[in-house]
Amino acid sequence: MLFPTATFTIFFLVVLPLSWLAMADLRRWRVFIVAASFVFYGWWDWHFVFLLAGCIVWNYLLAIQIYRAVPERARRAWLVLAVGGDLVLLGYFKYYDFFVSSAHNLAVQVGIGLPLSTRSIVLPVGISFFTFMAISYVVDVYRRDFDPVTFGRFAAYLSFFPHLVAGPIVRPGELLPQMETRRDPRRVDTSRAFYLIATGLFKKVVIANYLATHITDQVFAVPGSHSSAELLVATYAYAVQIYADFSGYTDMAIGLALLLGFRFPQNFDSPYAAVSLRDFWRRWHMTLSRWLRDYLYIPLGGNRKGRLRTYANLMITFLLGGLWHGASWTFVVWGGIHGAGLSFEHWRRDRPGYMEPQPSRTGIWVRRAVTFNVVCLAWIFFRSDSIGQAWSMVTGLFTRWGEPAPLVTAGVLVWIVVGIACQYLPSRIPLGVMARFSRLPVVGQAFVLGVALMLANAMGPQGIAPFIYFRF
Amino acid sequence: MVAATGKRAEVDGRRLSSAGRALVVIVLALVFGLLLDAPGLHKSAFNESRGTHRTVALALTGPLESVSHALRLDRPRLWVKEALGRTSDDSIDTTVAVPVAPVHHARGPRLVRSTGAAIPGRPGSKRRAFTPKHPLRLWIAGDSLVIEPGYALQRAALATPVISSVGGVDGRIATGLDRPDVFNWFLEIRHQLKVVHPNAVLLCFGGNDDKAYMTGLPAGVSIDSFDDPSWRHEYARRVGGLIDMINRAGAYVVWMGLPVTADAAQTSRFDQINSVVDGVVRARPGGAAFVDTYRLLQGPDGGYAQYLQNLSGQLEDVRAPDGVHLAPAGAAIVAREVLKDLNTAYDLTSWRKALPKP
Repeated sequence: MLFPTATFTIFFLVVLPLSWLAMADLRRWRVFIVAASFVFYGWWDWHFVFLLAGCIVWNYLLAIQIYRAVPERARRAWLVLAVGGDLVLLGYFKYYDFFVSSAHNLAVQVGIGLPLSTRSIVLPVGISFFTFMAISYVVDVYRRDFDPVTFGRFAAYLSFFPHLVAGPIVRPGELLPQMETRRDPRRVDTSRAFYLIATGLFKKVVIANYLATHITDQVFAVPGSHSSAELLVATYAYAVQIYADFSGYTDMAIGLALLLGFRFPQNFDSPYAAVSLRDFWRRWHMTLSRWLRDYLYIPLGGNRKGRLRTYANLMITFLLGGLWHGASWTFVVWGGIHGAGLSFEHWRRDRPGYMEPQPSRTGIWVRRAVTFNVVCLAWIFFRSDSIGQAWSMVTGLFTRWGEPAPLVTAGVLVWIVVGIACQYLPSRIPLGVMARFSRLPVVGQAFVLGVALMLANAMGPQGIAPFIYFRF
Repeated sequence: MVAATGKRAEVDGRRLSSAGRALVVIVLALVFGLLLDAPGLHKSAFNESRGTHRTVALALTGPLESVSHALRLDRPRLWVKEALGRTSDDSIDTTVAVPVAPVHHARGPRLVRSTGAAIPGRPGSKRRAFTPKHPLRLWIAGDSLVIEPGYALQRAALATPVISSVGGVDGRIATGLDRPDVFNWFLEIRHQLKVVHPNAVLLCFGGNDDKAYMTGLPAGVSIDSFDDPSWRHEYARRVGGLIDMINRAGAYVVWMGLPVTADAAQTSRFDQINSVVDGVVRARPGGAAFVDTYRLLQGPDGGYAQYLQNLSGQLEDVRAPDGVHLAPAGAAIVAREVLKDLNTAYDLTSWRKALPKP
């Protein structure tokens, strides 16, 4: 079930009032929301409902074992088993064929045969997101951040449909306490919810789809037949497209959760206004970057074990972060660029006697431009089907200037500018819009939303393309 | 920061509402949205597959569109469409505009090769030659299955100066020849032939045509079920009509067949469509070739394969995760076969002889 579809609209129109009616009794509400979430998830392929159920049961039981085990070694053993099980699940569905084919190809190159075969495994939607949430639950129980919760509570936390298939990756400490208390049906932040849903819909349906169909897909598919100007604009277009696509989805997810009475953490904060890669990762897919920080980078030692170890930890974190996005070497290179860039920033900052200069206004813009272009360079690898194709894009950026660029149209440039300019919008503007919207009468709010729906539908292409992050 | 001002709580200056009020706003917004968007919704309902869902959707959106039109609420959508240059988005045209009688193929390219079958060529006939100065103009169109092979063909064509891709890759998701109401390929191809003047056209249709429902049927014709004789006859008429239309414009057709898929039932339906297309192509020697992608992409056991070994023995991921579409490596296999067909139909190499010897 995709959010911007008639099917989901009907689903949500049924779930919203029933959820609030069931809220009077939290146990009843949990049963209801788990059932609704399973219907939502099973809509793609009902077989995978058992996978989600298995993941819930596995992590619930092992979290209890972790909590009950007395010697520290036993607790750790249960934790390793729990996390190992989650990683096996993720590894089998997401990486089995990738590693088997890579091993086979390596063996062929050195002239040996391997008794391994690929299995044509179908990737269950959202598996990367809910396994990460499950891992954070068992690790948090191990760290004694909180006690294990009942089965119903954990099932509701992990399967809650607004975050289920593409995040945000909500930590147990953020959602479980909210699920412990009845949400107040008289105090719902509807104006923010409607704002997020409407803008998310517009970003996904209009901006992301327009850029994908008018330049990105064509140029990235055959970079060798496009001019440098087209390659450059397509790279910027993809940067805006993926931002509009992914942040649009999570905006809708956050808005839907708000209507049900729950607050999700922010997932994007004007990432293309970042002045460094470090700053970028505080603004882009924030729930993933803090997950990687808290459950991978810091356990690896973070920056506490010397400079070289810090750089190595950064590289490991980002290479694995790249691989999390998909079973392809292009994602590994993408992670490698970010890891190397962050290591460089650490090295620069950690030099003896280095003092961070107070940047001038021009200096800030230069740093923003440099950061944005490094991020765009990494996006080339992220979007390309192969390393060779990405390299063709990179070299073509320098070698085919002066050739015609028919795909660089006014429409493409307008949406790129809009996509980047909105990152610099002062926060008081959306806050002001939401405040004014909240003061409109019911009919006025409905009319504004109706017009927004019409505009998204009329300006978007026919049909809804899948969200980019559904693949991850 | 939550604050209570008078009777109503606020956060960051915006008033909090009740869940009931939110529900009323959503329902009213949908009513407004439905009225403002009625023409598009009616077309979407029309485009649904035949069944109860479509019947109900049409019963709802038909009157809605009338009300919207009577109240002039459909105007804003029309203005937006006009501003975007997409006024035809909401129109429904089911005309299957294809030539009535088959064309005479003597003037077309002399050779045809249906992959896996004998080549009914005419020995001694001269193939049309293309040169870097006058390259073969290749246009690529079809449903979503043509997109990746189309791009692979464009990449492969970069290696030769005698093939020029014109008009990009016109691949449209969820379209086909069954439902001109969803997207009218007959009108689109007729239009594009006049715009891009291709010498050869790569087509792929059928991925969405494995259904019993067709629109644009001639008067008195009805379809009982998918793959019954009436369906096969009408589908063959459409495929043949398109090939004839393109041949009349002086272009050769390479028709990409439907591949084996991860779903056995779907593969079986695709087989039926392939057999219809292959039969139509065979009846038009010199006008078209059929690329048997099933054979090209089947695994060692003759069934679906996600990975195939390339010539150097390395495993390549040839299929998209959905088990239907092609991954770039699989598309490259199909593109090589298409290039072979083009080389058979046309002379794409003799220009090299005129090059100065080193």
